Amino acid sequence: MFATSNSFVFAIIPCWNESSVLRQTVSELLALGLQVVVVDDGSDTPMRLHCDGLPVHLLRHSVNLGQGAALQTGMDYALAQGAAYLIHFDADGQHDPGAIAEMLAILRQGDVDVLLGSRFLNQTHARAVPWSKRLLLRGGIVVSWLFSGLWLTDTHNGLRGLTRRAAEQIRLTENGFSHATEILEEIRRARLRYREIPTLVRYTEYSRSKGQSMGNSVNVFVDLLLHKLLR
Amino acid sequence: MTKIQLLLIVCLVLGAAWFAWSARLSYRIALFTLMLLGVYFVALPDHTTAVAHFLGVGRGTDLLLYLSLVTGGYTILLLYRRTRQLERKLTEHIRAMAIERAETLR
Repeated sequence: MFATSNSFVFAIIPCWNESSVLRQTVSELLALGLQVVVVDDGSDTPMRLHCDGLPVHLLRHSVNLGQGAALQTGMDYALAQGAAYLIHFDADGQHDPGAIAEMLAILRQGDVDVLLGSRFLNQTHARAVPWSKRLLLRGGIVVSWLFSGLWLTDTHNGLRGLTRRAAEQIRLTENGFSHATEILEEIRRARLRYREIPTLVRYTEYSRSKGQSMGNSVNVFVDLLLHKLLR
Repeated sequence: MTKIQLLLIVCLVLGAAWFAWSARLSYRIALFTLMLLGVYFVALPDHTTAVAHFLGVGRGTDLLLYLSLVTGGYTILLLYRRTRQLERKLTEHIRAMAIERAETLR
């Protein structure tokens, strides 16, 4: 019963040059009975390698475009496949698949269009975040507020849940990492109802190596600013 | 005429000739006019200074500096926007291709 009820839930995993951790992540999601859409964002070696024998939807960008672009491709595909609910999920194993059941339960109640994962709603979760990362994320919160007007506790958390209606209205044009802020702008623009939910982020050496650096955050900010001015 | 003036004029003429070679007639005329203008201001720097004085700038060189800063900055912004438009088209194309070629593994 659980499995069938999740067959219209599509988990979208953007990935680029992932290790075998991807296989682990995908397997955990498949175990929940979700449809899994792996969007290989032009990896050097096709990510198909890690999906052998797993019943996933596999899409591949022939050129690397960025995480935002990969998410949008996955959403377009999932919507075309008749998705009722969509989950954004990171490939690097930092998210807890255990959170998805609760997210779906909330979305199915119909009071919320978008659920945004946050590391900082729960003290125990927050303590797991390295301090340098915390500083960076604080900056992200302020920047996102400046651009979108939404004040959240964690703006750069890749775990999100969307209803079909929400996914249809959100259009990401920021190909790079500035999509995290753009998605908030879209939420605001389309007047979608959103809520943050506490999630644990598992910091492994691998997920930290795949994460965003301090230097790149400057690029993200410049991107946001210029793109806003030069549509 | 100083050596730098000669050098600049030669560069202007050669540059115009190079680009005009394969261009349409309208472009050739525009290029030729621009080139003549360039040669004129190189050959008679006093005239540039006169224009500068008229605009309240001390030297012709300074006027050129200000103008090139403005046009340079403007060009960078235009190029940035062009790049972004290209990026958007590329994204749409690659996305359509990815969705068309989507595989469902089992």
